[in-house]
Amino acid sequence: MKGALMTGLALVLLSVEAVLVRTFGFEVTRIDVTVALIVFLAVRSTTIEGALSAFAIGYLVDVFTGRPSGLFPALGVLVFLLARAAAQLLDGKSRLGFALFSAGATVGHSLLAFLLMWLTSKSADGRVLSLTAVPAQALLTGGAAALLFPLLVKIEPGEREPRGGLA
Amino acid sequence: MLSFLNRYREPLLVGALIIVPLISFLSRGGRGREPNFLDRSVLALSSPLQSGLTLVFSGVTSTMGGYVALRGAHDEAGQCRAQLAEAQAELNTLTEAKAENTRLREVLGFVDQQSGPTVMARVIGLNATPQFQSFRINRGEEHGVRVGMPVVTPKGVVGQVVRSVGGSADVMVMLDPQSRIGALVQRSRVRGTVVGAGDGQKMLLDFVRREDDIVDGDVVVTAGTDGIFPRGLKVGTVKGVSRPTVGLFLIGQLEPAVDLGRVEEVLVLPVTELSAMRAKEGSR
Repeated sequence: MKGALMTGLALVLLSVEAVLVRTFGFEVTRIDVTVALIVFLAVRSTTIEGALSAFAIGYLVDVFTGRPSGLFPALGVLVFLLARAAAQLLDGKSRLGFALFSAGATVGHSLLAFLLMWLTSKSADGRVLSLTAVPAQALLTGGAAALLFPLLVKIEPGEREPRGGLA
Repeated sequence: MLSFLNRYREPLLVGALIIVPLISFLSRGGRGREPNFLDRSVLALSSPLQSGLTLVFSGVTSTMGGYVALRGAHDEAGQCRAQLAEAQAELNTLTEAKAENTRLREVLGFVDQQSGPTVMARVIGLNATPQFQSFRINRGEEHGVRVGMPVVTPKGVVGQVVRSVGGSADVMVMLDPQSRIGALVQRSRVRGTVVGAGDGQKMLLDFVRREDDIVDGDVVVTAGTDGIFPRGLKVGTVKGVSRPTVGLFLIGQLEPAVDLGRVEEVLVLPVTELSAMRAKEGSR
């Protein structure tokens, strides 16, 4: 149920973001709001529920790209597992910790996306996408995560003990 | 077997959630698949939401503009504040209507030049992932929009339809790294391929020989050789040419003719005869 709520929230946030980007233009670095949701799931939900929700959120991102290819559902689950493992070492439960965690996860998500797209690019000359916007993107995502934190805590107030990976 | 599945239920499920979509991605690259029932349902749910949010957001920005104007009027003429606000609000509406009218006149003038039926559409949202540069329009399959159709404005080329469902469609803009447009330099008639640079700002002119005549400020137009875009539409202007010491081709950077991040109305053109012929051959 909470997974469905998070997926619904992702749909609303993606729609809002699409309209905001339309207003401010392509050159504005996008906020990777779904990564913040996936990090939150990694810190607070069970493995199965979190992985399924991360997959569903990734699927939504995939559909929103206009060319669903399977990249974002796989990345969503992968980032979920990595964030879950990192949650053993880092504090993602406080507002600041969650914001920093989300910023770090955004960098990881972008690098993984770059790597996979580079692997499948026909030209494979590094032109698939630019990584120069990643630092600003991470910063903005961290800020958005801090703003979203109170709302997310209302949806999932429980805290689990981080066990990492698939444990 | 059953106990094995039961014991490793979690890793098996999570592994499948990664591997299945990853195989799909690696086998298709970034090309994407045809929209299935679930995709269509999500789009049917999100498109009205985006249209509604676009309307609300436009309303809020318009009200804020009116508010700023009202404050200015308050400072300058206190006792006429109410009348001035009303006049200002009306002026805002008229200015917006005038701007829209000008845009639509340009579009209509452009439509007259086109031979086949065209579809006019509004942009309702931009794709929210930096890896793909695309936007959504409020016209889709039911309005005759099909995958592969070129999308333009009176100022020049915008992109190409990559997905069309019921009442909306997604357009890959020419800034996307997967976009390819057959083009030529208007002045010297040198041919090349325009490729999205992937940074959301510029394009690259590819496959142009080092010795070819290209300089800063040259206008690049569609060549009509890709079977998608009609010949002669403005693509962009050359902003920087470098000729590496090795290799056959030069590197030209292009600034798009259209401000792709702020485009509001677009025209979806019918496919050219060449691409219609190719589609026919493909269906045989």
